[in-house]
Amino acid sequence: MRKGRWLVKRLIYIVFVFFIISILMFAIYKALPGDPVKMMMSDNVKPEVYQQQYDTIRKQLGLDQPVPVQYVKWITNMLRGDFGYSTEYRRAVKDVIGVPMRNTVLLNLFSMVVVFLIAVPLGITQAVKKNSIFDKVVQVITIVGYSVPSFVIALLAIYVFAIKIPIFPISGVKTAGFEGTGIAAFLDAAKHMALPVLVMSVGGIGSIARYVRASMIDALRMDYIKTARSKGLREKVVIYVHAFRNALIPIVTVTTWWLIGLFGGSIVIETIFLWDGLGKMMISGLNQRDFSVVLAMQMFYVILSLLGNVIMDIAYTLVDPRVRLEN
Amino acid sequence: MAEKNKKKKSSTAQTAAKRMLLGGGTMTEEQEAVLTPMQMVFRSFVHDKVAMAGVICFLFIFLCCVVVPFFMPIDMYYQDVTQANVAPGFGMLEVPKGLQGNAKQIAIGSTFSVGIDEEGNVYEWGRFPTDKLKKLPSDMGKITQISAGLDHVVALNEDGEVITWGNDRMGLSSIPMEIRMGEKIVEVYAGYQFSLALAEDGTLYNWGNSYLVDMKFPEGVQGNIAKFDANTDIVMVMTKDGRVAALTGKSNTYTAIPEEIQGHVVDIAVSDESVAAVTDDGMVYTWGNNIKKSQNLPEEILGHVTAIEGGRYHYVVTLDDGSVQAWGDDTFGQTRVPSVSAPVKTIVAGYYGSYAIDENDKVYSWGLDGYLMGTDDFGRDIFRRLLKGGRMTMTVGAIAVIISTFIGVIVGGVSGYKGGKVDNLLMRLTEIVSSLPFLPFAIILSAIIGNSISETQRIIMIMIILGLLSWPGIARLVRGSVLAEREQEFVTAAKALGVKEWSIIFRHILPNVITVIIVNATLDFATCMLTESSLSFIGFGVTEPNATWGNMLNSARSATVIENYWWRWVFPALVLAICTISINCIGDGLRDAIDPKSKER
Repeated sequence: MRKGRWLVKRLIYIVFVFFIISILMFAIYKALPGDPVKMMMSDNVKPEVYQQQYDTIRKQLGLDQPVPVQYVKWITNMLRGDFGYSTEYRRAVKDVIGVPMRNTVLLNLFSMVVVFLIAVPLGITQAVKKNSIFDKVVQVITIVGYSVPSFVIALLAIYVFAIKIPIFPISGVKTAGFEGTGIAAFLDAAKHMALPVLVMSVGGIGSIARYVRASMIDALRMDYIKTARSKGLREKVVIYVHAFRNALIPIVTVTTWWLIGLFGGSIVIETIFLWDGLGKMMISGLNQRDFSVVLAMQMFYVILSLLGNVIMDIAYTLVDPRVRLEN
Repeated sequence: MAEKNKKKKSSTAQTAAKRMLLGGGTMTEEQEAVLTPMQMVFRSFVHDKVAMAGVICFLFIFLCCVVVPFFMPIDMYYQDVTQANVAPGFGMLEVPKGLQGNAKQIAIGSTFSVGIDEEGNVYEWGRFPTDKLKKLPSDMGKITQISAGLDHVVALNEDGEVITWGNDRMGLSSIPMEIRMGEKIVEVYAGYQFSLALAEDGTLYNWGNSYLVDMKFPEGVQGNIAKFDANTDIVMVMTKDGRVAALTGKSNTYTAIPEEIQGHVVDIAVSDESVAAVTDDGMVYTWGNNIKKSQNLPEEILGHVTAIEGGRYHYVVTLDDGSVQAWGDDTFGQTRVPSVSAPVKTIVAGYYGSYAIDENDKVYSWGLDGYLMGTDDFGRDIFRRLLKGGRMTMTVGAIAVIISTFIGVIVGGVSGYKGGKVDNLLMRLTEIVSSLPFLPFAIILSAIIGNSISETQRIIMIMIILGLLSWPGIARLVRGSVLAEREQEFVTAAKALGVKEWSIIFRHILPNVITVIIVNATLDFATCMLTESSLSFIGFGVTEPNATWGNMLNSARSATVIENYWWRWVFPALVLAICTISINCIGDGLRDAIDPKSKER
């Protein structure tokens, strides 16, 4: 009961944070260079009617109203999914972000799956075989993995897997002019996704494996592990059920932070691999001064990071019933 | 034992008395036993091999970036297309053995040199911009004169036949009809995408890319030419009656020829944007733009000069006593002339190198011998930019960390000590800042603010953005540590003594949590360097012409560069990787040293 109330409280709080951030975004929106009214007006307006026309458009855009009213209008539009008009694509922003969003989510989801499938068993094995040669070697690899910037790994991966041993395409989402469905389309997409996913996973595997290892070692030292062993439970059960469950809290925290960073970090990866996703769209939007698109992207990242916070809260309550929820 | 006795002898009566009072045990032993926490941390840190390796690596890179640029200066705005994409390595001035002691003439091209010996054989050495240069034409006969340009060579054999090889595009291979029809040629010249040939009757022929150098002969010059020299945008000639003329229809910096030298000139040379002429009384006159000190000639040579040669930003002269002098740009050691053992017969200067041949046909060389890490697409030395870039990346990272640590410590300290409503408010603020998506936010801020400001302001802006966005982590840590410390007795004591709150937080509590702050700042430094590099890499951080490791990689993003010019991305990537790995190792080592419990992991 208390847990439910706490979650509701957190959710309300996160909505509050969202509005604070949205005010910040609105400030950025207002700070954008260029007068939106002038942009709407055609160039060959006679000077005598200029001011009149200027005022009319200003009124149409609602810029004559006080700033708080403008903000309310802006945020309602945003929440309705009306992100404005893209000058680059000459269409409404919500019509053009569908495909990139799908691509970005796909890329990040795949990397997430890869990271968890590798990092968690790796970290656990390291903890169990603490100080063995295996542990030491993997430790070196993980420290390199999370230290080296993703774009360096990307350049290296392109050099090795796309140029020296050309098994993967250098960039893009699908082969140009590719017309196929079903398995063929999936294979083509997978081939293009291989390198970006590889690059994005390296950093994640590095940091998450290190955290899993550290918290597993802490957990394995606890008395209840001794109890479990002395009860005659199988080692597998001891490790994966008793120890790992208790090691999950720090892992959940770091995973959530990593997840939020993952979507932000994919901007760099998407620009390198010309992956038609939100990050690349945001960069090209900034370069083309298409700020409606940029703000929509920004909104997406904000919502994503807040969502990450909610997921973290829920995950805490799920993995550890002891979590005290007042604070 | 002996040492101990010595110490005892040297100890004063006072310490002896003290020892008697304390009852046994020497002072030295006691001092060894007691270590402050800081000393403990330091000891265990020094014994951590990985962390020490990190410290050494990082310090090495740091010192290189700070010290070496003083010895190897770099002009950030410098660009030279003739030096673009040169592979790393040295040996551009390494004269082949067959030529040493037997050299007749040498010519310098962009990054390679050619030479002929007394028998007329051709030698080539250095770094070749195109492989076509290595394919020497067969049966050239006995070569009497040779010249090298950007990426092609022109030679003249004893039958007066003009031969060219190397780059054959832009009409470089189409030798004019008059020359092929048997016009008697006495001198050939290979320049930047064009070639020149001087006939015995004083006529100058040119072929190749004529858009770069638009030759217009003033009256009475064509057919009367004795000597000539050229750079990338002008051909200067000296006529048989000792006059100088610029082969251009416009009036520009090259046409501002001093009147008093006309009729007395014996030799001319051209460097980038300036011209020098030697007169029959041994004086040197220069005009044009004084770029990179190319017109700052030494006073003591005046009146003794016999011949002059011009490189890209330097001049070399021979004096009447057979010695050699040079002045101008010294970035690659172009003016550091080696000592010669015999009077010099010929000098050659071109691009960034120089040769001198003495009477015994011995060859001396100085100037640009090669690039340690190659050059980029603008011909800039990658090694020098790497050092400058390192300095920039580290400065931005360090200042960003200082800003974020400062904010984090204040917010965390106040929040942890005060508790209650203040804590709640500050922590909510922390949460808001930390839920801002970092990279997208940094990008958008940099794009909006960075639009209308200067380069320096832009760099400062990047530091501030990074600092302002990355403090929540440190604030949380400090708050946690302060929460634990504030219930301790010494705080209660300080409160009871009436010490001000501000002073309690920052003078009593903070020193106890300083270790946490240091570790976090170290790790944050690595993160900030990485973020700066990422931002610069996608073009929203520090921009050209300023170098950072990130923006050096930016230009190396295309597949062509990754494949063909590996040195342009391998070196910045490597040094960035080593740097961040070392910092992370140092941070981990510090954490282990401070919290011995974590070492057991």
